[in-house]
Amino acid sequence: MDRLEATRLLVGKLSNEPVVANLGMATRDLCAAQDRDANFYMWGAMGLASSVGLGVALATPDRKVVVLDGDGSILMNLGSLATIARERPRNLVHVVCDNQQWGETGGQPTHTATGTDLASVARGAGISKVASASTLEELGKVMDRALKEDGPWCVVARIEPDTERPTINRIEPEVNLWRFRRTFE
Amino acid sequence: MSWAQRIVDLLKAQDIRFIVYVPDMVVWQVLQLMEEDPFFHLVAATREEEALGIASGAYAARKRSAVFMQSSGFGNCLNALGSLCIPYRIPFPMFISLRGELGEFNIAQVALGRAVVPILDSLALQHFAPRTEAELEPMVDGAIRLCYSSRTPVAVLLAPMLTGGKRG
Repeated sequence: MDRLEATRLLVGKLSNEPVVANLGMATRDLCAAQDRDANFYMWGAMGLASSVGLGVALATPDRKVVVLDGDGSILMNLGSLATIARERPRNLVHVVCDNQQWGETGGQPTHTATGTDLASVARGAGISKVASASTLEELGKVMDRALKEDGPWCVVARIEPDTERPTINRIEPEVNLWRFRRTFE
Repeated sequence: MSWAQRIVDLLKAQDIRFIVYVPDMVVWQVLQLMEEDPFFHLVAATREEEALGIASGAYAARKRSAVFMQSSGFGNCLNALGSLCIPYRIPFPMFISLRGELGEFNIAQVALGRAVVPILDSLALQHFAPRTEAELEPMVDGAIRLCYSSRTPVAVLLAPMLTGGKRG
């Protein structure tokens, strides 16, 4: 499936849920799909989107929290899956868009292109609600469940290699954080 | 009262309940006291960089936190400081147990232990190293206040002169 379309579908299912987007394509797509106060756009700290999302989820146990991650990013921080499994935040929905490549750096194949199965890794880390989706229809069904049923969820979405790179208006990181924090008042 | 208990009390006084850590023998003395106290919520990370990410997320959702780690692990979290905490202005106190100082028995701990201060300086992050129990309160309490007013991480360095360090 197309990543931007997948992001649009996902954002369309949200109301005020906080979303933490990994640097690069996830941040660009989320901002292009719908810029909202509850979006946290990362421009650095590759690998840490899932950790930041975990921190948000543990701090606000009554709101669903969505992380938009990538294969290159989660491969850099697989320990995060073990920490999520250990903390068991019921409200965390970790979506990994797996395009089997480092999209920001020229499309080099990542380790998921050479056999690493992120859904199995998540299960092995101890996360029980793990799902894979390879079409928009499947992703929609899984997200409906993940946004309703207790997690933590790890949803691996198989997406096509990057084609489009949406142009967005960048928001100052400081302003982004200030805006995001206001949604928790 | 032990140095560890003083740190626990000072965190409590500043309403810092959410503690993210990667343990070592020194910081564990503080963490153990917090584990027995329902006021605190402790989260163990697999790696120090992850700990900074979790603490940053908690702050983004309006919860104060503190991070505990060893100087060796401080080396694992530099990108999180440089490309997340500093540009987004995310504050929390970092309690870093210093290896490579007085009484060190392991050569592998020395280089990074000694590099912690110059690295913090190069990132323009402030640091304080209480050497006695009398210095603990003004430095820990002051560092916590400073980090939130400046919206920047601040380091409290726990040196062997204060803690007794790790002896083999």
